[in-house]
Amino acid sequence: MIDREEVIRIAALARLDLSEEEIEKYQRDLTDFLTACAQLKKVDVSQLRATSHAVTIKPRLRQDRVGPSLKQTDVLSGGADVQDGFFRVPRIVEGQG
Amino acid sequence: MSRKYDTVIGLEIHVALLTESKFLCSCSTEFGAPPNSHCCPICLGLPGSLPAINAKAVEYAVIAGSALNCVINPFSKFDRKNYFYPDLPKAYQITQDAYPICGPGYLDYYVQDKLERTKIVRIHLEEEAGKLIHSGESIIDSEYSLVDYNRAGIPLIEIVTAPDITAPEQARLFLEQLRLVMNYIQVSDTKMEEGSLRCDANISLKPKGSPVLGTKVEIKNLNSFRALERALEFEKERQREVLEQGGQIEQESRTWDERAGKTMTMRSKADAPDYRFFPDPNLPPLNLDPVWIENLKKSLPELPLERLHRLKDQDRLSHYEAAFLVNYPDFGDLFEKVKVTFPEPKAIVNLLMGDYARLAREHGHLNPVRLGELLQLLADEVINKNQGKDILEELFKTEEDSPAEIVEKRGWRMLSDAAQLRKVVEGILADNPDLVGRFRNGENKLFGFFIGQVMRATEGKADPEVVNNLLREELEGGRN
Repeated sequence: MIDREEVIRIAALARLDLSEEEIEKYQRDLTDFLTACAQLKKVDVSQLRATSHAVTIKPRLRQDRVGPSLKQTDVLSGGADVQDGFFRVPRIVEGQG
Repeated sequence: MSRKYDTVIGLEIHVALLTESKFLCSCSTEFGAPPNSHCCPICLGLPGSLPAINAKAVEYAVIAGSALNCVINPFSKFDRKNYFYPDLPKAYQITQDAYPICGPGYLDYYVQDKLERTKIVRIHLEEEAGKLIHSGESIIDSEYSLVDYNRAGIPLIEIVTAPDITAPEQARLFLEQLRLVMNYIQVSDTKMEEGSLRCDANISLKPKGSPVLGTKVEIKNLNSFRALERALEFEKERQREVLEQGGQIEQESRTWDERAGKTMTMRSKADAPDYRFFPDPNLPPLNLDPVWIENLKKSLPELPLERLHRLKDQDRLSHYEAAFLVNYPDFGDLFEKVKVTFPEPKAIVNLLMGDYARLAREHGHLNPVRLGELLQLLADEVINKNQGKDILEELFKTEEDSPAEIVEKRGWRMLSDAAQLRKVVEGILADNPDLVGRFRNGENKLFGFFIGQVMRATEGKADPEVVNNLLREELEGGRN
């Protein structure tokens, strides 16, 4: 069983705040998931080419041409805090040098 | 520096590619537009948007890899690197993790007159992050920051070197050569001040000769060649002091503070992010045509090192002269053009490196044909060096008249006619009998005075060699 701290750490990476019940639920879910992965790992794939991507089609590359962008006001409309045409964000790093 | 430690340096260089539009959308890459005016649902990562790879960015990455002698991988793919940082609007960066577009390669460059090689581990394509403007002096003392996403999504290549570099100065020389290569192949404008060339450095110390690498520290925020070298010098000394006092180096990221002249802790390994790479589901892997790759390799222009060696071997220039023409490609190109009409490499480079360089930086370059004509007049001794300088100044004002026409108009033609000059010399000696006497009694330094008098009398037009011979004849003939 994957432990509480691991679930909390993974949740923190995605900035998720989990309740006690959710932590327990994800402990179970993630354990089931990893168990399934462990089973898959037992399959002999030595003769197979690795699948590095689920899609096998060739990408359509785009010509290097400039197209229209959004208006600045539209770009900024999704921001919680804006100033002089910029998004404004709180302190980024903690601590001193 | 203590002799007890070896310095080990590796660089990660970000080169923004000179495409018109961004990597995965058609927003403009133009520098200096109003903030957040070159953004769209794709580069902002709005739900439902679909990225499409810019063909030019792929081409430039292959050209750059080829110029750095890298293996080009026909198969490569794109991954999402997940982390939260305000310069990343999508909360992930599209990059290449396990399958980069270019594999191992190397770059050769000179450190003084010794050819060094630094191995390239890989080059991958990725998108640029947005630009942060901090409210304080640096990120560390900023209560808030402003974000401009115009830059977010511009294509860039990250070039990762092996830890092959052994000194801060060498790191700078490597980076300078790398920039030159990028300029020659025209995939980037490599302006460090605009951020289109950026460098992070990893540095560690190990006991001299030890095969085991020490704990490395990553330095960020290196915005100039000078900053790179200074930051590495500082960090080398800092680590040496820690080690000599029996301490341990902590694996961490440090930021270079230009003003304070020191590196400062940014984040430590303890809270190192877990990027959770996974294949970008919206972008199928690249499968490049090997023939197309070969053709790009074949179409590479002459690279800086090749040019340097050609100038030294074929044109017989010194390392210093050749390096000047290589490091300032506009001068190098002009040199080639002048050589077409005036095939004397040494004379051309002497002219270009002298007064010409100073004037050209101020006014722009002259027509190579005019320079060839000027050099020809000097070679034919129609004019002397000082007159050559005057004509050069004149050409920077207007190139309407050829150097020969300027000579005619100003009556600057060099006076080499011995009979005519003899009269001048005789006149001057006749006017200065005392001095002539003193010279003949051994005051050799007076010779210069007579030369000066002749030059003055001829308004600087006299051929110094002819004057010299005439004076010797006249003066020494009657020496006691």
